[in-house]
Parts: sequence; structure tokens; C-alpha cells
Amino acid sequence: MTDYDHSAIDELLQSRVRLAIVAYLASAREAEFSVLRDAIKTTDGNASVHLRKLEEAGYVAVEKRFVARKPQSRYALTERGCKALLAYVAHLESLLPTPHAERARKSRAAGEP
Amino acid sequence: MDQDAVHEQIAFIRRAIEEGRGFIGARSPDMLVWGVAIAAGYLATYASVRGWWQAPPNAIWSACIVPPWLYSLRATFSRQKPSPAPRPLPSLVGAMQMLWFGCGICLTSLAVMLLFTGEMRRGWFEGVSAGILGVAFFASAALCGLAWMRWVAVGWWLGQTALLALQGQPEGSVRVGGAGPRLAGAAGRSAPARAYLKSRPASTCAMYPCR
Repeated sequence: MTDYDHSAIDELLQSRVRLAIVAYLASAREAEFSVLRDAIKTTDGNASVHLRKLEEAGYVAVEKRFVARKPQSRYALTERGCKALLAYVAHLESLLPTPHAERARKSRAAGEP
Repeated sequence: MDQDAVHEQIAFIRRAIEEGRGFIGARSPDMLVWGVAIAAGYLATYASVRGWWQAPPNAIWSACIVPPWLYSLRATFSRQKPSPAPRPLPSLVGAMQMLWFGCGICLTSLAVMLLFTGEMRRGWFEGVSAGILGVAFFASAALCGLAWMRWVAVGWWLGQTALLALQGQPEGSVRVGGAGPRLAGAAGRSAPARAYLKSRPASTCAMYPCR
């Protein structure tokens, strides 16, 4: 099995919450749990469950530390997670018609030969 | 999945990426610290030249450059080691810190050499430092995807031109120097808020920064 398992990607990123987390981290690269939770507008429990799944899949890396005696989890997108997002977007783009196919469809709809 | 759903999904990803990019802008106070410090240096130099404040330029620029330099240094070395595996990607926040840290090293080494050689009195350092800040703001604008911040860079470059043109004219220099806090302050204050505004990325590369 290769390091990059395409069949597992779609299943993980089909969840809107997980997709939002990965896409958010793709640009922010790293963020605390509370920042992610607020960004994706979900609850602590929901965010925690989805982040754990992403962590188990190796899409995000977590760093736990104490700041002012309070535990803080900091998440970062891994290379594997980044590749997964790119592959998912490429897959989405492949579902869209090419400009040439779109022109052909429109001309067919317009009744042109 | 029909075409509308695909478009909607791509738009969703784009929004999430833009939110993340805004987070970077909000986490980069270095630009404010450096901008305010350099602007304060201009104003203090002017006050010194006018005789309102008896402070040597060497002391002024040491006081204005060393604290932000230490600030960037602290931010760089206080980052803890990442967890062993899987390895996170290099942070864009880190890239911003490195950019401003690099500017700090450049300005500091330049200032130290000018202090030792006595070139500081000739007055071109202010203009050059404004140009370096312009470069830093321009690169920050590209990293954060904030088009409006490019105009802050243009402002610093105009200031650089004016400062170099007005060497030896304190009245002209103070007008340019006075614009510094406004440029830096406006950028620093509005970055966290404006960064969250939606703006369409110019290219696929900008949309997927981890590529």
C-alpha cells in the first residue's frame, strides 16, 4: 500500500466539517482548537471528533501544550492532508465539463449542426 | 454529483481557504511593531535635528530597531518543536515571521554599520529603511492575499523617494516621517479585520497555497 491512499480520501473529505478544517488549514497551516471550532462554526464535541479522524488519517498533526496552565491543542495540516485536499479538488474539477465540451453542449442545445 | 453541487463544493473550499488566510493576517503583528518603530525613529530624528530633543541619532535608531528585532527573534525561537509524526507543513505564519525577522536583520546590520562608520549622519538611512519596509509590506500582501496592503507598500516607497529627495530638509522629512505611523498603524489595525473580507484569489496557485 502506498503512502497516499486515494480511496480513503474521498470518504474522509466527504464530511463538510472535515473538508472545512482541511481547507482552512491549507492556508492558515496551523491553528488552535478554539480557532478551528469557531472558523467552522461547530461545537467542541463535533470539532473534536472530526479532528481526531483527520489526525488518525495523518491529515493533520496536533501539538498539545500548556499556555498559562491551560491545555492548548494546536493543529497543522500535514503534507498528506494537503495532497488529499488537492486530489479532492482535482476530482471535483474533473466532474466539471471542459470548455470545449460545454461549447458543444450549448450548440447542441441551440440546435446547431 | 451534478455540476451545481460541484461548483458549490468548490466555492465552499474556497471560502474556507480564504478564512484561513485571514487568520494569518490576524496573527502577524510584526508588521505593526516594525512599522511603528521605524516611524518613531523618523520622528525622533526630526525632533533631534530641530533641537527639541537632545538625543544622538545612534541612540535613537538603536532604541527603535533593537526592540522590534528582539520581538521578532522571540516569536521565532518561542515556537515549540512540532510533534514527531506526521510532520506538519512549514507554516505560512512562520513565513511571515521570517520575512519580518529578515527585515529586522537587514535594518539592524545596516544601522550598526552606519553607526560605526559615521554614515548615519548623512541621512539616507531613513529612506532606505522605508524602502525595505515597502518590500516587506509588498511581500506580506502577497502572502496574505491582501491586495489593499500593496498600497501600503506603495506608500512606503513614495516615502522612500521623498526622504531621499529631501535629505537635509527637516521640515520636509517630518511630513514624510509623520505619514509612517499612519501607514503602519492603519495596516496593523485593519489587517485582522480586513483579512477576513472575501476576495477572489487571482490564480489557482493562490487558492491552494499548500501546492
